[in-house]
Amino acid sequence: MRFWEGIRLALKQLRVQKLKSFFSLLGVIIGITFLMAVVTIVEGMNSYVRDDFAGSFFGVNTFTVVRRQRVTTGRVDEVERRRTRRNPELRMHDVEVVRAAVPSARNFAYSASSGGEASRGQHSLRNTRIVGGSPEYESVQGWTLSDGRGLTQVDERQALAVAVIGQQVAERLFPTTSPIDKRIRVRGHRFRVVGVLEKQGGLTGNFRDAAVLIPFSTFQRTVAQRRQEVDLITVKMNAAEEMDPAMSEVEGALRADRRLRPSQPNNFWLETSNDLLSAWQQINRILMMALPALVGISLVVGGIVIMNIMLLSVTDRTREIGLRKSLGARRGDIMFQFLTEASTLSVAGAAVGIGAGLGLAALVDQLTPLPAAVSVTGLVTSLVLGLGVGITSGLYPAHRAAKLDPIEALRFE
Amino acid sequence: MIENAPGNGVIIKTRDLRKDYVMGAEVVHALAGVDLNILRNEYVAIMGPSGSGKSTLMNMIGCLDSPSGGEYVLNGQPVQDLDDDALARIRNREIGFVFQTFNLLPRATALHNVELPLVYAGIASKERQKKAEHALEVVQLADRMDHKPNELSGGQRQRVAIARALVNSPSIILADEPTGNLDSSTSEEIMDVFDRLHGEGQTIIMVTHEFDIAARAQRVITLVDGKVEARMVPQFAPGAGKPTFGGVSKAPVEPAGGTGEAADGGIRAHGLR
Repeated sequence: MRFWEGIRLALKQLRVQKLKSFFSLLGVIIGITFLMAVVTIVEGMNSYVRDDFAGSFFGVNTFTVVRRQRVTTGRVDEVERRRTRRNPELRMHDVEVVRAAVPSARNFAYSASSGGEASRGQHSLRNTRIVGGSPEYESVQGWTLSDGRGLTQVDERQALAVAVIGQQVAERLFPTTSPIDKRIRVRGHRFRVVGVLEKQGGLTGNFRDAAVLIPFSTFQRTVAQRRQEVDLITVKMNAAEEMDPAMSEVEGALRADRRLRPSQPNNFWLETSNDLLSAWQQINRILMMALPALVGISLVVGGIVIMNIMLLSVTDRTREIGLRKSLGARRGDIMFQFLTEASTLSVAGAAVGIGAGLGLAALVDQLTPLPAAVSVTGLVTSLVLGLGVGITSGLYPAHRAAKLDPIEALRFE
Repeated sequence: MIENAPGNGVIIKTRDLRKDYVMGAEVVHALAGVDLNILRNEYVAIMGPSGSGKSTLMNMIGCLDSPSGGEYVLNGQPVQDLDDDALARIRNREIGFVFQTFNLLPRATALHNVELPLVYAGIASKERQKKAEHALEVVQLADRMDHKPNELSGGQRQRVAIARALVNSPSIILADEPTGNLDSSTSEEIMDVFDRLHGEGQTIIMVTHEFDIAARAQRVITLVDGKVEARMVPQFAPGAGKPTFGGVSKAPVEPAGGTGEAADGGIRAHGLR
């Protein structure tokens, strides 16, 4: 009962002095907000990366040949960077070499891409991803259509000015009508829309939903930059076990074709979803290392502020403490009262922080492609930290209150 | 050693009670050996000029402080050597305080204020409320239970404080200038409450510097320089003969340990039995 009374008293104080309490608890609130937001977003990223990242961005059992490493983790050696910058561009010849090296591939595609504006009349979308893909590109990427048809061998052979567009492009350029068989303008070239991609959303949706997919041959004639030929050669295998052998076949074939001596390093890069996974893990590790320090600082500051409020409260209520002691409160009773109060304050701060953190994460989830997921561990950690800060910062004031001399305290003005 | 068996009617017994304060190089003897006997259902006033040690004596009797020397037996229990927490327990069970400044919790209702000692006695919520309501009925404030102190008059506040003092059925009620902050008619009203409680068997010890308040008591103990002044003649009550003077009442157990006629002779105007 005395426990509930302590909580009731502390909550009352919060209610009466909302603004002051808010500022007093700001440290705790900020610390916990930060903790919750980061943990929620990291948790969201984790489950996202685990569940569908590899599949949607790279496709399952897929590897890609690129000129140089796209995703780098941590610091890359400057020498290495300069060396890979001299790697030769991928050519159609390389496509044939890779195709010959893995006859057992389930799917095989090559593509080149560029950014640019797509428009129709006064409707336009500035940052589309213009992709010139070989006929199998869609199926290698695992892209599906919501309307119309995909690109065909005929489109490729005749280099037709046809396009399959992502949902975002479709919505912006055709807010009211169906885009099928309509004309759009991409970087000054005219295309006829033949299909619309299914919406993906989320982090990778940025890429698919804003895509304008045109035949590879058409890309070469229209939007391709000078010297640009093939950006990616993507190989999809039937099973995970086939990945390593297939990758070493491709590596061997390309090295032989480029006449690299054994002492020379590869002048191309083989990329799998693991590259992105390990990059994410690295970011994750850094976040998780920085997080405790940042949260810790806020909580220490918050704790000191709470300690000060509690010391003030003890002084303000010296007579009350004297009275309670004269009525039979023991040291432990007084100690408990103030500890309960400090803890309630701090946990209230933590609760506000949890709410704000979740709100922030939800906002990030809505406004950016970063996903968010509520983490139970984060919730529990926040509450425990709140309680811990309260008890720790309440200890000294509570002790001061408990050892007050009842006579002196009663006489206090 | 004084015998501490209860039941002989003695509720407070002190022998050679001393309290010294060290102030710099000097030692001040706030209490320089006080011998007191107070009986169950006695109504005693403690008087004395400021600096006489009357506050110190009240703190000792109220178990708010420990003596430097001597013995103090409260309701059969020696308390001079108890530690803080044990004293808190004694205060909770044996003593009901009434202060000059009321000392109510401003944010709590009258009922909640009265419940406070029961909270520290560890009594369950329902029982607590029942007892507190009863105590408020005794001081005729049952209709003001849910009022906060700032919604009550001074006299009502002091009656709440008296209810709080009564609620745990203490051995003694210890009132420190209970009418000091009240006007004369309200003082009258509060003193009537004390009279009534005394009539119902309550033991009351009252510290005051007002003679007409002290005149309500059966016996006045006057302190001078940390000692009980036994021979002071009551000039304020000519012929009334109501209050008597002396530190040691003529209790049946106590062979007259006094030093002269006044201590022996002026014991009680109103018999206790």
